[in-house]
Amino acid sequence: MFKPLLGFGVFVLLISCDANNENVEIEAQNKSNSPIKITTEYNTQREAYFGDLHVHSMYSYDAFIFGGIASPDDAYKFAKGGTIRHPAGFDMELDIPMDFYGVSDHAYYLGIVREMALGSSILSQHPVAEGIDSLDEDVNVRRSIFRRFADFASAGNGSEIMDETVVKNAWDDIVTSANRHYEPGKFTTFIAYEYTGTGPEEEVLHRNVIFRDSVAPEVPFSRIDSDDPQDLWSWMDSNRAAGIESLAIPHNSNVSDGLMFSLSDYRGRPLDSAYANQRIRNEPLVEITQVKGTSETHPALSPNDELAGFELVPFKIGGSVPIQTQGSYVRKALLDGIKFQAEQGFNPFKFGVIGSSDNHNATHVGGEDNFYGVSGLLDSDGQKRGSLPLGTSQEEEDIYFDRYARFGASGLAGVWAEQNTRESIYDALKRKETFGTSGPRIKIRFFAGDNLPEIDDRDLVEKSYANGVSMGGNFISRSNQAATFIAWAAKDPNSAPLQRLQIIKGWTKGGEIYEKVFDIACANEMQIDSISHRCEDNGASVNEEDCSISTDLGAAELKSRWVDPDYDSAQHAFYYVRVIENPSCRWSTWDAIRAGVQPRADLPTTIQERGWSSPIWFIPAQ
Amino acid sequence: MAFKHPLFLFSILGLALFFFESLNKYDRQEITVTLSQQERLATLWETQTGYVATPEQLNSLVTNWIEEEILYQEALKLGLDDQDSIVRRRLIQKLSFIAESGPSEPADRSILQNFHQENLDRYTLPERYTFRQLYFETEAEADNALLSLKNGKDFKTLAKPSMLNSEYAYNSELEINAIFGIGFFSRLDTTRLNLWQGPLASGLGFHLIDLIALHEEEITPFENIQGQISMDYQRDREENARNNFIKELTDKYTITIELK
Repeated sequence: MFKPLLGFGVFVLLISCDANNENVEIEAQNKSNSPIKITTEYNTQREAYFGDLHVHSMYSYDAFIFGGIASPDDAYKFAKGGTIRHPAGFDMELDIPMDFYGVSDHAYYLGIVREMALGSSILSQHPVAEGIDSLDEDVNVRRSIFRRFADFASAGNGSEIMDETVVKNAWDDIVTSANRHYEPGKFTTFIAYEYTGTGPEEEVLHRNVIFRDSVAPEVPFSRIDSDDPQDLWSWMDSNRAAGIESLAIPHNSNVSDGLMFSLSDYRGRPLDSAYANQRIRNEPLVEITQVKGTSETHPALSPNDELAGFELVPFKIGGSVPIQTQGSYVRKALLDGIKFQAEQGFNPFKFGVIGSSDNHNATHVGGEDNFYGVSGLLDSDGQKRGSLPLGTSQEEEDIYFDRYARFGASGLAGVWAEQNTRESIYDALKRKETFGTSGPRIKIRFFAGDNLPEIDDRDLVEKSYANGVSMGGNFISRSNQAATFIAWAAKDPNSAPLQRLQIIKGWTKGGEIYEKVFDIACANEMQIDSISHRCEDNGASVNEEDCSISTDLGAAELKSRWVDPDYDSAQHAFYYVRVIENPSCRWSTWDAIRAGVQPRADLPTTIQERGWSSPIWFIPAQ
Repeated sequence: MAFKHPLFLFSILGLALFFFESLNKYDRQEITVTLSQQERLATLWETQTGYVATPEQLNSLVTNWIEEEILYQEALKLGLDDQDSIVRRRLIQKLSFIAESGPSEPADRSILQNFHQENLDRYTLPERYTFRQLYFETEAEADNALLSLKNGKDFKTLAKPSMLNSEYAYNSELEINAIFGIGFFSRLDTTRLNLWQGPLASGLGFHLIDLIALHEEEITPFENIQGQISMDYQRDREENARNNFIKELTDKYTITIELK
């Protein structure tokens, strides 16, 4: 999308963003030796590209039951700027096309339920298929059929209906669609799928598997093969040995009830270096935010982080049973990871972050002001998704359907890559030079080093790459060095201005873990309090009558060259950037305003959209 | 697909009626799309889309069903079955695959070049622009800079560091709007080349823009996208092969669609 003149020459210059890599034994060593393709937009200082790697088409059993009729082909057409139709009859279109996209259908029951509904195969006669060919507008029936299929797999019976030919045909279509829509330099597609591994009590251990190239395994590895993620990684390892490179991105750790980042493995054994190596080799990233909640952290885990309660879904899916916070959130996992590193010499939770949507309409999310739900006919209007009242009770209180009300219009992936090609973007994912946002196209740069340029240097990015490590990298800290950071964010031109730029630090000392939030740049020249490390409030507000926002407050860009006041080169630590927009209306408020009713009192009326960078890890020199 | 067009369907019906008596009945198989079958197709559509099928949609559903029935009958003739009706779909897929795979040799260069020529609209880049850009937070700053530029100051000394680039090449309207915000392109005067224009407001602040070059619509050379053309050709060929195959087979059938 961005094509600086700089990139015209045909030159191959690989920038090492991680000069200190040699000391870090657990880094994945999967560097590809294939030559880098040069497009006219090639930028050695890398460009921000935006995409969604978590989208479901009609081949996903749940998407189909929800009414989904869009194929992978339709999904890619949509991502490139085309229009597709929602099952409820309205059109869906993006204002700005995606730079990259991956359709990631559930591997278990891949294409099966659709085949059952088509009615011409023996599969339709299986008891689990009852009613699948006569779905109607009754969403409760759809919900109970969905439940039946999920339970069927949980009971260990899923293999009965995994007709190989059906799965293979669907998978072939997914692979072919991804390859056909790939336009190097303009639009990148990834062959992908969702591994929907699940714990004994329905805990979410889901991962999206993303393939680097145009070739994929015969059929995807699914939860029918195994619910143990280690078996998935072993499958990925063996593919890699055969030349098929892939990575897995866990999501919805927030509803894993502590299992996603558990301190023991799936079978309850303590973690060891073999486990950590295999996990990090295959899982360089996690999805920090998506529609079914944001997984950064929880107020119970981060009581001193006033912004920790953002778009949380802290209950088991479809219920009100609270989730165990330990093991369910990204920041705590990063902390547990460096504690493992400090005490046992391995880090199983050394991951960067992206956002993605998990949209089951084959589309991306529409944004707060244009949110049309993500579950087909189940949440296609305000009443169904809980923003508008169904009616009033005898006590004259509004009654709402609650299941989807806390879903967020969230999840966008950002990468820093030389050009918009599979190789370049995949390699950015692999080296964790990534960031996630709650929807807006906010850009975040982040570097650490001991010789970084001044913040207003004209060649800030070039010098920062040359003299530091970027997000996702390691800084080997030595006692004779001072560490500085460059953090820089730019707003989405179509979204609210930025309010504050923050660095989140996590560290371990004496067997304990600690975290701290530092505001490091404030909009409107607000001051940072030297004790609390917080910006003064810039006073930005939202008119909740029409959702208009303050036009004169906030910043287009925020940046800072920052020195950690508590820096200790002997500590294992990580740092990541969080950037916060001025407040704006939440989707549920937009729904209410359009319908001319009051927004729900028990939902936040406004939110502060945000972005998160991948961390930089500080590892003490031996 | 021409075959799905109702006109095509009706012309087949017409032909079928015309030749009905003159042909030997035993050379032709009959396919009857019963009312209950039509109803089933309609219900399935409604179930999946939430909408009642329009007559056109119903037509195309019936047409699809006939296609499949024909493939099924042919598959049976080829002995791919063991008279087990539940493998119908499997057989259809098998025969469709044979049809789509067609001649096995890969398309040579001249065929692909022809395909490129015949589908140029698919391979044409839109109008694009190469320009320099200066970013300012306030309109006053931008005004001052514009004045300095008019007084001959080098634009590089005026550029304030930002996450935007100072030079962009070959960006389309869509790409320009992606960088600066929706609607920004319409503020650009694309008839003015080599002249600083602005300040232009964006979702980020204010900009001075110097359009250096306008690049007309351009056909992407065959050499640059041979791989993509090859995939498109393959997809088109498969579709055509399937359509032709079904067309050929359809001629062997008398089709009756029961009327209400």
